[in-house]
Amino acid sequence: MSDRAPGTIARNGTSVPATGRHRGSVHIHRVSVSFAHLLVVDDVSLTVDQGEFVSIVGPSGCGKTTLLNFAAGLLPADVIRGTYLVGGKPPESGNRDIAYMLARDALCPWRTALENAELGAEIRAVPPPERRQRALDLLDKVGLKGFEHAYPKALSQGMRQRVALARTFSLDAPILLMDEPFGALDAQTKLQLEDVLLSLWQRERRTVVFVTHDLSEAVSMSDRVVVMSARPGRVIADVKITLGRPRSVRALQKDPAYHELYSHVWTKLEEGLAP
Amino acid sequence: MTDRTTTWTTPQLWAGRIAILIVFFFLWERAAASKFIDPILIGRPSGIAAYLWAEIFITGSLIKDLGWTMLGTILAFLLGSACGILVGMVFVTRPTVEALLSLILMALNAMPRIALAPLFLIWFGLGLGSKIAIGFSLTFFIVLSSTVAGGRGVNPDHITLARTLGASEEQIFRKFVLPSAVPVIFNGLRLGLIFALLGVVGGEIIASEHGLGQTLTVLAASFKTSGVFAVIILLALVGVCITWGMTWLENHLLRWR
Repeated sequence: MSDRAPGTIARNGTSVPATGRHRGSVHIHRVSVSFAHLLVVDDVSLTVDQGEFVSIVGPSGCGKTTLLNFAAGLLPADVIRGTYLVGGKPPESGNRDIAYMLARDALCPWRTALENAELGAEIRAVPPPERRQRALDLLDKVGLKGFEHAYPKALSQGMRQRVALARTFSLDAPILLMDEPFGALDAQTKLQLEDVLLSLWQRERRTVVFVTHDLSEAVSMSDRVVVMSARPGRVIADVKITLGRPRSVRALQKDPAYHELYSHVWTKLEEGLAP
Repeated sequence: MTDRTTTWTTPQLWAGRIAILIVFFFLWERAAASKFIDPILIGRPSGIAAYLWAEIFITGSLIKDLGWTMLGTILAFLLGSACGILVGMVFVTRPTVEALLSLILMALNAMPRIALAPLFLIWFGLGLGSKIAIGFSLTFFIVLSSTVAGGRGVNPDHITLARTLGASEEQIFRKFVLPSAVPVIFNGLRLGLIFALLGVVGGEIIASEHGLGQTLTVLAASFKTSGVFAVIILLALVGVCITWGMTWLENHLLRWR
């Protein structure tokens, strides 16, 4: 249903150089993960296409973050069985096709907002004028114009997470991996930042894999919501979210179609939790 | 200095501090003048002032001694902290080296430095060398342990982020470990400088040709109590200046805190 959106801008948006149609996709086929004989993820298959916004929801410990960390190359290859391809390649740390965002902002307190927004591109050796321009542009887009030279201690939690968003989006990676990026924020700030994230995503339509335990967040932002069971995590539902684009998370709060989808996903999640 | 809640302004606080000192010195002077306590034991504030005036502005001997003491302190501090930071960084980046050496260094650090001072005197002579050695042996370990603590205190989220970004070990060190260690290292430096002064003065007291510590022994041996207090006051002022200077430098360099 996302085709309904006026945004024909983007499947192969200019800012994402597409080298082959796999570059922005995540392909998980019959993947199981175990740590020291503890089965964490059990036979999960999941494909995220280029430009898709997919959320993975599930109770704590269901292995959703493990799946994400694996994609980012943060886990050793020997803990999994099955096929896992990120942008058509096996996961590796430092993959330039990936930008990763954590639950905590992970800003460097000794860097200004601008320097923090530039950090990722700096490590990936993007030339200074280019990365500065991108960082300035993104700080503007996340609503931090005028705070470029503020240090994190002077910023609120919400503002700090906006800087982290800017840092993530200023990488030219086609795949964005987000691990509960708004989990530590209060409800009001969270809604604001969800809209900021959607507006950034709407411009370029990069692939997003978004891990959360907040159903409303998943339903309101995603094209698809993947529901996982309690440990060992299995996929128990893959629900298409047939809400139009572009969306406003705040406006959706009063939309009956949204609430219907929400209760549908909630039912699936409850089924998964039932013994 | 005024971050707790006080309704007094800075000039008021200074007026208060000076008033306290005036009362204190006045009572001291009265006690000594009336022989309530023998001035041989406690000196006299007027005697202290007279001594300071004569030795600073007339003969200049105190300034010369202060110069020697400070030269020793600064050299001991620079050498000790440079080596401390260097070895600390090696420990942070090479855990094997740390596992090998940390216990040995801990044992070395447990040795009472003042008891080693006579050895340093034999090895490095009566001059500046032995004073620098004592100051160094104190500063080095303080700065070393704060560097290791600072290097360990890196935020694990930063490391996760760095790894997903594909940062090299060298980049992780330069962009995350080092800057996050700086405030802790700074605390070590502040303490290290005070201890460098302590080591140098201690060495001078034991045996020396120059310096405030040496002056102190000579004065005490001849019962010039006012002179002893004068030197002690001068040392206290130096200590205060060092602390202020380091705080200023810290606020200046670490504006982000």
